[in-house]
Amino acid sequence: MNAVGLHRKLEENAGLLIFGILFVSAIGGLVQVLPSVMQESLVAPEAGARPYGPAELAGRDIYIREGCGTCHSQQVRPLLAEIKRYGPYSRAGESAYDRPFLWGSKRTGPDLHRVGGRYTDLWHRLHLLDPRSVVPNSIMPAYPWLGERPANVGDTIQRKMRALRMVGHPYTEAQIEGAPQALEGMMEVDALVAYLQGLGVSSDGAAP
Amino acid sequence: MAELPSDFWTGWIATITVASLAGLGWLIYSVYFAADTHTEQDSPVWDGELREGAHPAPLWWFWLIFVSLVISVLYLMLYPGLGSHAGALRWSQGGELESSIADFESEFGVARRLAAEADIQELSQDHALMASAQRVYDRNCAVCHGYDAKGLTPYFPDLTDDAWQWGGGAEQIEQSIRDGRHAVMVGWLQVLGEDGVDQLTDYTLALSRGAAENHAGQTAWMQFCAACHGPDGAGNPLLGAPNLADGVYLYGDDIDAIRHSIAMGRNGQMPAFGERLDDTQIRLLVALLTPPTGR
Repeated sequence: MNAVGLHRKLEENAGLLIFGILFVSAIGGLVQVLPSVMQESLVAPEAGARPYGPAELAGRDIYIREGCGTCHSQQVRPLLAEIKRYGPYSRAGESAYDRPFLWGSKRTGPDLHRVGGRYTDLWHRLHLLDPRSVVPNSIMPAYPWLGERPANVGDTIQRKMRALRMVGHPYTEAQIEGAPQALEGMMEVDALVAYLQGLGVSSDGAAP
Repeated sequence: MAELPSDFWTGWIATITVASLAGLGWLIYSVYFAADTHTEQDSPVWDGELREGAHPAPLWWFWLIFVSLVISVLYLMLYPGLGSHAGALRWSQGGELESSIADFESEFGVARRLAAEADIQELSQDHALMASAQRVYDRNCAVCHGYDAKGLTPYFPDLTDDAWQWGGGAEQIEQSIRDGRHAVMVGWLQVLGEDGVDQLTDYTLALSRGAAENHAGQTAWMQFCAACHGPDGAGNPLLGAPNLADGVYLYGDDIDAIRHSIAMGRNGQMPAFGERLDDTQIRLLVALLTPPTGR
């Protein structure tokens, strides 16, 4: 059989055509994605990785909602210039509790993967609410509403944690029960700062 | 770097990749060079001659795909593309990083070590190195302390004045950069009440005017403030307790700011940069920031 014969067969048999299309489009995934997903070292959490606490989790969703990932990546690439500027390069196991991961590829602003602990909470607050109050030449938009909206909304934080537990994040029932209390009195900016301060910092608090 | 795929997945990747390339090769060979099996009876004809397979696709297209296939095969032989197969060039991302670090070390290593051990006074006279130090400052310090190092009242201290809360000597400045600082001033409103806070606020202002003798707030000052800020208000750099007699106020010199500090306390933080900057960078910063007389 040559290609013309195969072509005719596919043309005349819709089922075969559908299967053929699915097969051909799956090849890339079978070669690139499947082995990576099945590879323990790429999916297993690193020794220092930990699931996000309630405040960080709420802050992470604010990060997503405000589109921070549009201008900030969260992956330090294994290149000299990057590790000199940002710190140790990002490793896959550090993102084990990121669902979805926020690596990003667009850097209008700096990479944020190693930003945890770099600035004080106070600086982050000032900077998020009005970036130009601390960095006069910043082009980052201001997010003043983060200081006005409470971080805890209904039982969403508990539902998020339960959903994440279903996919393997080790939250205990006590942590989930206590989550709204942990967010009590926090504004959105506080949750976002908690998230940023935990970025790239392992569970023992040290920069990796 | 993450570990390479296991033997099974290497076989999986290699088999599918090679089979795909072979399949593509067969497909274009077959389209261009195999005998045309179209026949008159099962292939409709329009306008007397237009039918399936009447004209082959242009030949340059064949060459385009052919060359791409050759490049793919060469790439997979030279570079790591087939599972854990390392490729003839032995290139790896980790190896690339290591060699660029080694290049950096061989180009700058000696000069960097010299700078890391150099005398602070000499360093501060070296214009080229101070230009480097300024870049380190701009990248790491300026977002809080400002590009002009004048700080941002009432949040971040001025680094150009004479007032150094934690000490302005090279060693203290190095420690501030390396380990960070955390100054805690507790609030006294609960203890002293509104009147007591007002009285101490006034006493503090009197201190900076040198008019604190026989002030009514002196008793409370000696009891609550002197342990950290000293009986004369000169402060204690070991505790990060600022000098309150020099007229420089970390959190602003208006009466409300001073009153707030006394009533509610303050919580000043400087992050540690010992892990983020290397010894050379820290040395350069110390040389840049230490006042010439080593106050």
